[in-house]
Amino acid sequence: MTRMPRPTPLRPAAPHAIVPPWLLDRIAEAAEPRFPIASEAARRSLLRDRPMRELRNAAEPPPFLQHEHEHEHDHDHEHDGHEHEPPAATVLGEAPEPDRRISDAEGEETLPGRLVRREGQPETGDASVDEAYDGLGETFRLFTRVYGRDAIDEAGGTLEATVHFGDRYDNAFWDGERMVFGDGDGEVFQGFTNSLSVIGHELAHGLTERTARLRYEGQSGALNEHVSDVFGALVEQYAMGQDAEAATWLIGEGVFTPAVEGRALRSLLEPGTAYDDDVLGRDPQPAHFRDYIDTAEDNGGVHLNSGIPNRAFALAARELGGFAWEHVGRIWYDTLTSGRLRPDDGFLVFAAETLRAAEQRFGVGSREARAVESGWREVGIEPRARRA
Amino acid sequence: MDVIVSRSGGIAGIRLTWRVDVDTQPDPDRWYVLIRAIPWEQPPPVPPEPDRYVYRIRCEPHEDTPAEPHEATLAERQLTGPWRELVERVREAAEPQRGGGTGGATRRRPTTRGG
Repeated sequence: MTRMPRPTPLRPAAPHAIVPPWLLDRIAEAAEPRFPIASEAARRSLLRDRPMRELRNAAEPPPFLQHEHEHEHDHDHEHDGHEHEPPAATVLGEAPEPDRRISDAEGEETLPGRLVRREGQPETGDASVDEAYDGLGETFRLFTRVYGRDAIDEAGGTLEATVHFGDRYDNAFWDGERMVFGDGDGEVFQGFTNSLSVIGHELAHGLTERTARLRYEGQSGALNEHVSDVFGALVEQYAMGQDAEAATWLIGEGVFTPAVEGRALRSLLEPGTAYDDDVLGRDPQPAHFRDYIDTAEDNGGVHLNSGIPNRAFALAARELGGFAWEHVGRIWYDTLTSGRLRPDDGFLVFAAETLRAAEQRFGVGSREARAVESGWREVGIEPRARRA
Repeated sequence: MDVIVSRSGGIAGIRLTWRVDVDTQPDPDRWYVLIRAIPWEQPPPVPPEPDRYVYRIRCEPHEDTPAEPHEATLAERQLTGPWRELVERVREAAEPQRGGGTGGATRRRPTTRGG
């Protein structure tokens, strides 16, 4: 079951990290002239460790740094009467902040619904609202800190979500501007906001819309779905600090009720194994190109055939080990933002582009390029067949 | 006349099918009026939205009846007016069957695909 990370409480708590963030920051900033390697290492550690540190409730800086800490943060609190955790001082500059807006459709199907929580406001007590808020924050963190993207639209735009859409609505979707979440029927689905991978999946549709614009049909549609599953998984892995080995590679773990015989909606690593239930049936995803499903339904099987590129990605990530968002995730992000993809591109072209991006970023013949290549080959796609 | 609604898509990609034999319903005339009111030849064009449902609606007349067959596939957001009314009626009148997700299609290697 996906456990949502709790936001950092305001009361300082004992650190669990050996080197607290304020000291890393000090090293990153002050050590550079004499100790450039230490400075760089501290900087990278800040980048990497931040989500885990926040999970472990980093301590306040010690008294002798207190005045510096306060001085940097007596701006920006225009939020109305709430408790807002200021961004930690960091040489990364101002920590980018999201602008989240959560609305409540109150069981109706009219969008956006009633605005119930804005950026910086405290928890409302409505689990769906607060989970969507937190999940948007985690997605934002991945995209800004790892991929340097200023919100989905690259312009610091608002992240919008609507919860309680419809009556026992068994679904979540992206409507072009916002994520929308139903409550589930309570029998099969217990909700969708409790899954970081679902939230990341939906927001990533916005990313695809702004970048490669893969058309939501047939192979390009399966790639569109695949990209959302990739970044959904990476949001969860980043928030949990999981490397490729520790990761579940599941989408939607926790959306099913306990009555369902199933782990999740989908498995990137092992398509076709996420559930096998006498009511739901069996997970129908193919894991290899030879089993591509030709169908008129589901816009040409976009949620089915996404299993094929999903497995290629997960295999490449596991071959490399370490944090998937740093290597294969970065290659996929580069591919999406390269400007070279066309809306109707299929699996072969996409695979060729990922290999090209891997070679560009990590080098021809690099471990990363070879892992990407073998990932695609294992699912029956030859990335060199159509040279990018 | 059988009316069959297949819903696919959604973030879970789970396929459901409802089938109603209109002639066994308590009010078949109301069903036929509704079916005739639907503009089968002109479903409103709306591009698919990610993770929203897709509805395939079929009317299959029984053998030796004068009724006409109909078929249309709609995106969730197109399901308004009489389309929606028919789907809701079908869903109220029948239990959904959960499909294997292939929609009766075949698993075969595509020939010229690849972008």
